[in-house]
Amino acid sequence: MAPGDSNEARLTELLCLSAATLLADLGVQPEWRTGVRQPPPTGESVAAFSGFANNELRGSFAFLGPRKLFARLHPLPQTMTLRDWADWARELVSQAVGRFCNRLLAYGVQLATSVPQGALAKEVRLASSLDPARSPILFTIEGLVLEGWLELDIAPSFRLEESPLHEARAALREGTIVFF
Amino acid sequence: MNNKAVLVVDDSLTVRQQVGLTLTSAGYQIVEACDGQEAVDALRAHAEVAMVLCDVTMPGMDGLEFLETIKGDAAGPPVPVVMLTTDGSPDLIARAKRAGAKGWIVKPFQPHLLLAAVRRIAGEPG
Repeated sequence: MAPGDSNEARLTELLCLSAATLLADLGVQPEWRTGVRQPPPTGESVAAFSGFANNELRGSFAFLGPRKLFARLHPLPQTMTLRDWADWARELVSQAVGRFCNRLLAYGVQLATSVPQGALAKEVRLASSLDPARSPILFTIEGLVLEGWLELDIAPSFRLEESPLHEARAALREGTIVFF
Repeated sequence: MNNKAVLVVDDSLTVRQQVGLTLTSAGYQIVEACDGQEAVDALRAHAEVAMVLCDVTMPGMDGLEFLETIKGDAAGPPVPVVMLTTDGSPDLIARAKRAGAKGWIVKPFQPHLLLAAVRRIAGEPG
């Protein structure tokens, strides 16, 4: 993150990095870009979103993509049923938001998260309810596009530190196991 | 063949399947619950449950409320609980520890490491 970037730009970059590392852990190497729109996806899509909030920052993150992309990312080789698609999309978005919140802890930002929700849809298109000019984050994976939508509602008092300051408060990293 | 049962508590079917596949391959039996209240009921109904793997963020009763509920439940002997979640917050980990959890695993998990953790908690050779 470059010094001087806006809170929103830096939060967006943290979210992109969180989602990209999650996808990499699932065995794919996504390329991601922002500021680009694309035509509404045709055919059946899967969407899921999860929210997060504290007193100064609230928002949500959504994934939208074709069913076959979610199948590609699924950890178990199996024939997926209708409920599997939405379930897996919910888990994916939950893990992406979880990573985002874990990274923010090192900046002194603690967020509560919501239970994720998922849906199946045809020819659906997501759009920002807060900022009509906002565009999705596009993750390109083996020729398929996964849209990520980050909604942010930031209080004027909120300020994201330029770099992580609270190493002692940093979250456990993904895959860590601790015993008490 | 292992005859111990593990209660897997997660609102995600995918995660329950992932954990179930990992543990049944090592001979464990699996009991499933999709939220904290179902987990409380499952513990009362399945005396064979030797440990619990439990998500934190779930609809209804969440994982930490589940922990705090069974801590105050005098109906049976304590069963070790390990939290399995995307959250790595030190505050939540401290709360789980205070409520009696025996461990914390941040998703995603590596199957062989999850199995080693279950064996350790179950007091079995790795």
